[in-house]
Amino acid sequence: MRLGVVFVSLGLIFGGFFALMGGAYALGGVVEDFGRTHGVSGLASLTNILILMLMIVMVFATLLTLAERKWSAFMQDRVGPNRARFPGLPNASLAGIPHIVTDVFKMLTKEAFRPKNASKVLFALGPMLAFAPVFALFAVVPAGPTLKIFDHPVMMVSTNLDFGLLYLFAIASLAVYGTSLAGWASNNKFALLGGVRASSQMISYEVALGLSLVGMMIAFSTVKLAGPDGMSEMQMQYLWSTRVGSFDLGLPAWGIFIQPLGFLLFFAAAFAETKRAPFDSPEGESEIVGYFLEYSGMQFGMFMIAEFVEVVVLGGVIVAIFFGGWSLPFGNEWLMNLAVMKQYPILLGAIYGTVFWGKTLLLVYLQMVIRWTMPRFRYDQIQKLGWQILLPVGLANLFVSGALILWDPSLRALALFGFFVIGVFAFLTLTPPKQVRQEQEAADDHHGGHGHAAPAPHDDHAALPASTH
Amino acid sequence: MSSHSHHDPLEKRELVEADIRERTYVPEILKGIALTTKHFLRNLFGERDPNPDVVDRKGLATITTVNYPEEKVDYPPGYRGLHRLVPREDGKPRCVACYMCATICPAQCIYIEAGEYGGDDEHAESRVIEKYPKQFVIDELRCIVCGLCVDACPKDAIRMDTYTHVPSEYNRQGFVYDIPKLLKGPAVSHPSDPWYKRGSSAPPDHVHKEAHTRITAGGAALAKRPPLVEVVKFAKP
Amino acid sequence: MSDEKKIEAPKPAPPPGPPPPKNPGMVTLVIDGKEVVAKPGTNMIEAAKSVGVDIPYYCYHPRLSIAANCRMCMVESSAAPPGKLVPACQTGISEGAVIKTDTEKVRAQQKMVMEFLLLNHPVDCSICDQAGECKLQDYYMRYDFEPSRLEGAKVLRNKRKKLSDLVVLDQERCVLCTRCVRFMDEVAKAPQLGIFGRGSHEVVDISPAYGKLDSNYSGNIVDICPVGALLNTDFRFRARAWFLSAAPSVCTGCSRGCSIYADFMGQDTYRFRPRENEQINKSWMCDKGRLSYKGLNKHRVQQNGLGRGAEVKDVTPIEALRVAVEKLKAHSGKVAFMASPVASIEDLLAGLAFARDVLKVKSVYVSGRPQGEADNFLLTADKNPNRKGLEVIAKAYGLELKPFTELTRAIDTGTVKALFGLGHEVPEEDEVFAARAQKLELFVVSATNESKVVEAAHVVLAASVHVEDEGTFMQGDGIIQRFRRAYPPKGDSQPHWKWAVDLARQLGLEMKATSSREIFKQLAPQVPELATFEWDKKAPMNQKRPGISTMAASADGRPPGWREQGVPNLRGLSLPPGT
Ligand code: SF4
Ligand code: SF4
Ligand code: SF4
Ligand code: SF4
Ligand code: FES
Repeated sequence: MRLGVVFVSLGLIFGGFFALMGGAYALGGVVEDFGRTHGVSGLASLTNILILMLMIVMVFATLLTLAERKWSAFMQDRVGPNRARFPGLPNASLAGIPHIVTDVFKMLTKEAFRPKNASKVLFALGPMLAFAPVFALFAVVPAGPTLKIFDHPVMMVSTNLDFGLLYLFAIASLAVYGTSLAGWASNNKFALLGGVRASSQMISYEVALGLSLVGMMIAFSTVKLAGPDGMSEMQMQYLWSTRVGSFDLGLPAWGIFIQPLGFLLFFAAAFAETKRAPFDSPEGESEIVGYFLEYSGMQFGMFMIAEFVEVVVLGGVIVAIFFGGWSLPFGNEWLMNLAVMKQYPILLGAIYGTVFWGKTLLLVYLQMVIRWTMPRFRYDQIQKLGWQILLPVGLANLFVSGALILWDPSLRALALFGFFVIGVFAFLTLTPPKQVRQEQEAADDHHGGHGHAAPAPHDDHAALPASTH
Repeated sequence: MSSHSHHDPLEKRELVEADIRERTYVPEILKGIALTTKHFLRNLFGERDPNPDVVDRKGLATITTVNYPEEKVDYPPGYRGLHRLVPREDGKPRCVACYMCATICPAQCIYIEAGEYGGDDEHAESRVIEKYPKQFVIDELRCIVCGLCVDACPKDAIRMDTYTHVPSEYNRQGFVYDIPKLLKGPAVSHPSDPWYKRGSSAPPDHVHKEAHTRITAGGAALAKRPPLVEVVKFAKP
Repeated sequence: MSDEKKIEAPKPAPPPGPPPPKNPGMVTLVIDGKEVVAKPGTNMIEAAKSVGVDIPYYCYHPRLSIAANCRMCMVESSAAPPGKLVPACQTGISEGAVIKTDTEKVRAQQKMVMEFLLLNHPVDCSICDQAGECKLQDYYMRYDFEPSRLEGAKVLRNKRKKLSDLVVLDQERCVLCTRCVRFMDEVAKAPQLGIFGRGSHEVVDISPAYGKLDSNYSGNIVDICPVGALLNTDFRFRARAWFLSAAPSVCTGCSRGCSIYADFMGQDTYRFRPRENEQINKSWMCDKGRLSYKGLNKHRVQQNGLGRGAEVKDVTPIEALRVAVEKLKAHSGKVAFMASPVASIEDLLAGLAFARDVLKVKSVYVSGRPQGEADNFLLTADKNPNRKGLEVIAKAYGLELKPFTELTRAIDTGTVKALFGLGHEVPEEDEVFAARAQKLELFVVSATNESKVVEAAHVVLAASVHVEDEGTFMQGDGIIQRFRRAYPPKGDSQPHWKWAVDLARQLGLEMKATSSREIFKQLAPQVPELATFEWDKKAPMNQKRPGISTMAASADGRPPGWREQGVPNLRGLSLPPGT
């Protein structure tokens, strides 16, 4: 029963992705066709903005507001939100979905309170500045292949910039304005503290963020993200491959394989940029509440939704950079060459789009699970991690990767090094830490020998007076 | 004597230099994620057992939530719940308005007004006791649920064995419980109850006879009495 | 050990002839190792009491004949035949006797007596009003503390025999000490009670020769009954003894002014009990006075009022004072003054000073309760407790006292058009005077209780009763008695003297007193009869009743003995506990 519900829900989610992406391709094709007949090309990016960003990302983020609560509940052996009801369904908690509606109503109807001495303009600007950049980040992330539909190539990205990655860095660093302005404009000590913490943290981690991607840039010699010559699609190439009939099988050059350290660094740095736990000391509910302390109603809602959009976008970006974008790990050639796919490219687009969003979903889950696993870093730990660990490791990674790429441009050496790194981490994870080992040994000792070296047979300790020992 | 002390690994734990696994964070985070994900998956796919006794829950899910108003945890035996005035077999309170509970009550939340059963009015069957509570009021908001009133009562007339707590009310007045609200639950009898000895406060007719044969008469009276102590407990909801 | 050596010392003294008394004219003996010097004829119980040795007793009462039937007071005495115990209540003291009250033998005797008394006792303390002040309970805890060994049923007797409207008897609880019988016989001089039956069927009952218990002193047998056999129907089941505190006070029922304790809880008096006073009431009081406490609780004027008939409205004390001052000013110089001898000396000292110096009266009309019946023991015909006090104060102040009839005549003829009344009691029918008072253009009264007279007043100043303040009365024989305050005045009321002081100050007379003590200190020196009275020293100890002290006095600003026993506001239930 429950299993059925879960699978039907999953099916609904993936079906939704499938339908939306198919629709996106179809709409893009129609619009592009219309544009070309009127002498304009690239109109499809408009529909992509509409569907990819406004529909999928926004809906994704909205659902995440509930999902975060529900998932965290499951992780912590709770039930999660289940009290809101749709009218007419008094007994169905519907996995808490009505809470989304009630939340929206709450946000919209609550008073947008502004402290008396807060700076009027900046206070209003804060949430917008926090929201807009994270949203805009997604513009360069490709969610599907470029396909010929109605004889016109349709790209599944809002804008295909040559400097995609640089755009990412540029826009991401803008988000700091929103938080620091919000903190400062609130005219509140704690909000200001939050803002200061947020800006220093974000600026610190931008260095590591940039550095962690340089390895990927030199591996593929590009800063472009989308398109056939973009980083995302180039990860489809195999490092080693073989064929089973017409099915191609192999190990793709995904970022995670050739740059596992880069992935870890980027993930950590990006996490810090999103200011989510364990890097949430700018919010620090239990100590300072954070830069949005004075915000209420929909203004606070903007901050909140920005955070969730950030989660989705970060998931998408990581997928595009480290997990081969929309591509399957293998069998891509086979799939693309299927007759039915050639006949209905929209179908192919929908499949790849679903793959992309599926990967993103996994990455989103990863972010959630980390948030609900890790306690919050202390502020000094955050800075230490950024400057003393991520930065040197990033530099080392850069030099080693650069050398390996120089030595073997086929990236295989890089991949082997990557596997070595992964192997080291796997080993460390699977073996118990020294302290546990010691304790185990001590316990074994105790049980084995009772601490007595004497070879005499065990006497009944309990029967003897304690003084005989 | 300490030579035979049991070795407890937890006791000997000292601050040791953090392991490489801990210092690189990643392995520990991965382990943590594995654990959290295990719970996530179990609770995602498993059905929550609504058994209010969470320790005895079965199935895949590890959720310990009790959905409160719909599901309720049984109070443990001996739980001091909402007061009740214990009724006699005839439905009147056992209470004789002795004020012991009002005296002991540290919160001074018991108010009693004693009345006297008339000689030959409608309470004829109660004349043997003479005294009864005209008003018996407990302000449950003031009560600190110490149970001293139950201990103090010489007549087993007030108990806290209802296995419910004081329900919510919309105004303070609702928490002031009087006899109609307090008098409930199964009736209780004890062999020492005065109505097993006589019908009224008047001297019994057989007073002479009994004086000379009272051992046997007493024995016969004993035989007619109810069991020594009747343990009455509310059915758990 | 050292005690015994001291005791043995005189023994080998010359055998022929008794030794000369140690203290001539007195008897010297040793009780529990303490030397006692007492008057000849004192019994052992009293002699022991004087050195703080408690000998338990039931049937003994200092003001009754000795019956020596309970056997609880048995002690060892060197003057008794060897091996025998003597009843301490009956045995007189003798020179050089050595008395021991705490030996094995005595203790065994006490245990046996207690077991015997409790053999057929119902022990229904939970519904017994005596609980808390019961000698059976006290002595059981102190001298017995053993479970009953009785098998089988107890003897059943009448548990609720109404002896009179005031007294109810529970024959099962009676320990047959005959105190009640002796009291009715010797003190009340009406032997209406007797002991009937034999053995375990012995009971107290009304003696057939009388057929009823109707003495005006029957309430006292409830007080002297050491157990809960005799109970007062008026007090029955109203309160537990340990909730009550006692304020030493004076009965205001008649001019005898019996010394009493007013037992109170919260702001209500629950009963009067006689307080020992060798000069006035010994240990007794009459039933009429005993029930006179009801006026302290019921029908009290608690709010100050303005207007008559339909225009009556309650006002604050300040507003009442303002209106009274305004109206008295308007009738300045024409206001007559009547004073009630129910008010205390302090009230009258201040009130008459106000009348003389502010209202400028030359004479004072005497109001007060009408005369009533008297008897040959305590009850007097004059129902006013302080007539003597009024007389001496008026004389010292140079005010003429005029009888009440002159006031009525003056009102009828119209000579008196404005009247100030200190106290609402009048010696004629309330209705009659109320009708007369309708003619008055101004009638201001400071009143304690509601009555027709009060309804006829233009301004009613709520006055407190005597248990709500400290003060003194001068009873019929000229004895001045101090009484103590039990609890603060009810409602908005304040003492008569306070009203007099407030009015006098508003009307331009400097009066500084802020307490009844100051009133007495300032004004009593003018009165020769009062001048020598030591107001502070004569105050009886404000003792609390033995029992559970529910809250230390003024631990949180409450008066001693205060217990939150207010009626919870519950579904239309609002009976004050005193009703
Ligand atoms: S439980 Fe304690 S506080 Fe509550 S009524 Fe009983 S004695 Fe008073
Ligand atoms: S202690 Fe028991 S019998 Fe006494 S008043 Fe309280 S409930 Fe009634
Ligand atoms: S007389 Fe004393 S011992 Fe007997 S029932 Fe009354 S309180 Fe208890
Ligand atoms: S009724 Fe009371 S006073 Fe009278 S004999 Fe019995 S115990 Fe004594
Ligand atoms: S007091 Fe002495 S025998 Fe009763």
